Amino acid sequence: MAEFYLQIRWVHVAAVFASGALFLLRGLLVLAGRKQWALAVPVRYLSYTIDTILLTAALMLMTLLHQYPFVHGWLTVKVLALVAYILLGSIALRRGKSARTRRLAFGAALLVYLFILGVARAHHPAGWLSTVFA
Amino acid sequence: MSTTRRLWLGLIALLVGSFGVLLWMGGDIHRQAPPVPERVASSTGDTIYTREDIEFGRQVWQSIGGMQLGSIWGHGALIAPDWSADWLHRELVERLDIEARRTGLGSYSDLDEAQQAALQSQIRADYRDNTWNPETGTITVTEERAEAIERVAAHYVSLFGNDPDMTALRESYAMREGTIEDEARREAVTAFFWWTAWATTAERPDSDISYTQNWPHEPLVGNSPTPASFMWTMFSIVFMLGGIGLLGWHYAVYHGRAPEPQPPVNDPLEELVVTPSMRATAKYFWVVVALFLVQILLGAITAHYQVEGQEAYGFALSEVLPYSLTRSWHTQLAVLWIATAWLGTGLFIAPAVSGHEPRFQRLGVNFLFVCLLVIVVGAFAGQWLAVMNKLGLEYNFLFGHQGWEYTDIGRFWQAFLFIGLMLWLVLVGRGLWPALKRRDETSSIVALLFLSTIAIGLFYGAGLLWRENSHIAMVEYWRWWVVHLWVEGFFEVFATAVISFLFVKLGLVRAKFATINVLFATMVFMAGGVLGVFHHLYFAGTTTAVLALGASFSALEVVPLALIGLEAYDTWSKQRATPWMPRYRWPIMFFVAVSFWNLVGAGLFGFLINTPIALYYMQGLNLTPLHGHTALFGVYGMLGIGLMLFCLRGLRPQATWSESWLRGSFWSLNVGLALMAVLTLLPMGVLQLQAALEEGYWYARSAEFMGQPLIELLVWMRVPGDTIFSIGALMLSVFVAGLWFARRREARQEVAAAEA
Ligand code: HEM
Ligand SMILES: [Fe+2]
Repeated sequence: MAEFYLQIRWVHVAAVFASGALFLLRGLLVLAGRKQWALAVPVRYLSYTIDTILLTAALMLMTLLHQYPFVHGWLTVKVLALVAYILLGSIALRRGKSARTRRLAFGAALLVYLFILGVARAHHPAGWLSTVFA
Repeated sequence: MSTTRRLWLGLIALLVGSFGVLLWMGGDIHRQAPPVPERVASSTGDTIYTREDIEFGRQVWQSIGGMQLGSIWGHGALIAPDWSADWLHRELVERLDIEARRTGLGSYSDLDEAQQAALQSQIRADYRDNTWNPETGTITVTEERAEAIERVAAHYVSLFGNDPDMTALRESYAMREGTIEDEARREAVTAFFWWTAWATTAERPDSDISYTQNWPHEPLVGNSPTPASFMWTMFSIVFMLGGIGLLGWHYAVYHGRAPEPQPPVNDPLEELVVTPSMRATAKYFWVVVALFLVQILLGAITAHYQVEGQEAYGFALSEVLPYSLTRSWHTQLAVLWIATAWLGTGLFIAPAVSGHEPRFQRLGVNFLFVCLLVIVVGAFAGQWLAVMNKLGLEYNFLFGHQGWEYTDIGRFWQAFLFIGLMLWLVLVGRGLWPALKRRDETSSIVALLFLSTIAIGLFYGAGLLWRENSHIAMVEYWRWWVVHLWVEGFFEVFATAVISFLFVKLGLVRAKFATINVLFATMVFMAGGVLGVFHHLYFAGTTTAVLALGASFSALEVVPLALIGLEAYDTWSKQRATPWMPRYRWPIMFFVAVSFWNLVGAGLFGFLINTPIALYYMQGLNLTPLHGHTALFGVYGMLGIGLMLFCLRGLRPQATWSESWLRGSFWSLNVGLALMAVLTLLPMGVLQLQAALEEGYWYARSAEFMGQPLIELLVWMRVPGDTIFSIGALMLSVFVAGLWFARRREARQEVAAAEA
């Protein structure tokens, strides 16, 4: 498996960007008052598919690197931030009652997403700020 | 004579004939089983193993999970090797090396092909000649073979302990550190493994095929399929085609001729009076859902052990819950939750059919429920203690781990479960009694349904017929009585009977025609199913007669499955039979799935591995779980869910059903199962098959082969399918929970509305 490390990482990263891009698009559609497009069945299934691939690749990388959430800080932070991202995302796309709530949740979700990218790049719980803390 | 009567007589004659042959062959298997020697000696007279070693070794092997960790003669778990084939190969490699050095050629692996081939033929007699002496009960081996045995034994003693040199191999085999803690026990296990390997090459007296019909494929010693395997493969396919032709004719003559009854205007089950004992079955269904979820979790862990042999994402899991346990529980729970769904269904239906609530019925239902819980918890606790080396060996058979896949709970728990099943039959029987006595139109279909449940209950008793030290060939014989006669015999009959019965109750099918159909189907299933049991025993130390019978009759099992589309379409069309039928849409969809997977999982994937030539190479490769999952969950899991939904309809008549949760659950379960089959099990099985054909069976099961990146990638490909499948199960649980909780909310809303 270790032979495939680079390819698996590439799949993981590609899925991360695809997932983020799709979320951005759907969030914008909601803001533009096209909620039914954002929640259309093909779009939803596309998003499930991308996320399943993303998570599968993540699990594979974990067993290759022998680094795990709740053992290694940066992965713990990633998982917790991911939970926040999912919750915020679902408020932004569906659950948010008012347009204002949805907008705020959308912005927050994007920030969390960027933060996760930083954590992943730095392999450090503080993400983009890791140089400050290091 | 009426048609029904003729069919009954035919069925009885068929059963008497089939079971007569089955029992007679049981005697034959007993007489012809590979002998367990009193002593294994080298030609210089040294004792290598004794009978006590072999028997004690088998006990130890059983206590650590037996068939749930690696396999013997191809039966068992898949990550660790087949110990018989693995031992044989290792011993041959050692033996060849000894021979090469003895003849002054140096190391065997450095020789050219011609030299290697010459050495292989030199040692062949050492392996194929049967040196068992019936008078003294001794097997004598050459000195060189004795030395090879000693070397392989040392490897195993080290593997099953906690020698750090072997940790990597244990990891790839998903074995915990110190699998067998005591050294004397590790040595005894080698005696048992050796004996099973011996039987794979030693020729039966006056014959040139080995005790296991030359299984496994091993080029080093010329183990290859027997001529009879080829012949019966071809014949069996012809029999199957002939059977399909005949049944096609039968359908052309009779199918669709039965006049459809005028369907009732209202749902006849709407006025169903739910008695206290019926209401008490609700908890059976909650337990079904809970056990199903636990089973999936254990399955996920078992699959993960294929990636990381001892841990899960950094947690040292094998120290508390090793692979052999998660696999034991995963397979046992499959049977247990499906059985619980059916038990609940029987208890729910009985008073509903007769309209009579016997005295103390509710008490009986509750008592049985408590017994079942005690059995599950007790049996699993015993298995845990056994595998963790914490239960004395003397208690293992009764309370620990018997090690025989699917029938591996301790004998005490088996017996307790058998009593539980008898209690269930009594409860269902007394509920049904008035309906049986009435002798009206429907009583014969009720009787058929009841008979199939009696058969299910009684045949579990076959699991009590072997003893702690029975010959392994006899244990296999009786074990498959339970497993095979259940799933390929009485379960199929029950499935057909219960679905027809429900349609009769709904007024969509005339009772008389349903009875004839079910009787006919029973005959067809039993014609192949009873003697078909021998397809599990081709290579389990039996004779060619077993192989011939097994191949021929099991091929007939596919006949009704090939034409199951007719039945599926009938079921499917029932959805639109009346305006109120949409109430039953999802139970019916699950019944259609039963037919689909009966064709694909049981019919196609079952037949893929069924002929002697095919199974010779495929036994114990991933093609077996391919068939196992798609058939066991696909057919009986789906049936269990369908029946549960049907009963819930009656238990919760007013609750509004959440369409979307059920639809999601149905499609996720089906798509998830299909993905698991297509993305992982099938491709992995085909790759293994190629390896077994080219290199020998041992190689397809070796750490070397299973550790290839491509194989590991295929294991990971399970994640998407398994995730979707689990979501389906979760949606089902949400739905079931919703029936109770949503109702309360609705009731509260109604009260509020009334007050306002
Ligand atoms: C719905 C019906 C069936 C169910 C639930 C079922 C289930 C199973 C299970 C659970 C196993 C054991 C898998 C393992 O060891 O992991 C098995 C093995 C097998 N089944 Fe079936 N099966 C069904 C029908 C059939 C049919 C119709 C055939 C072929 C005619 C068939 C042929 C086999 C064979 C050849 C084996 C392997 C035997 C061995 O390794 O000893 N099965 N089946
Ligand atoms: Fe079978």
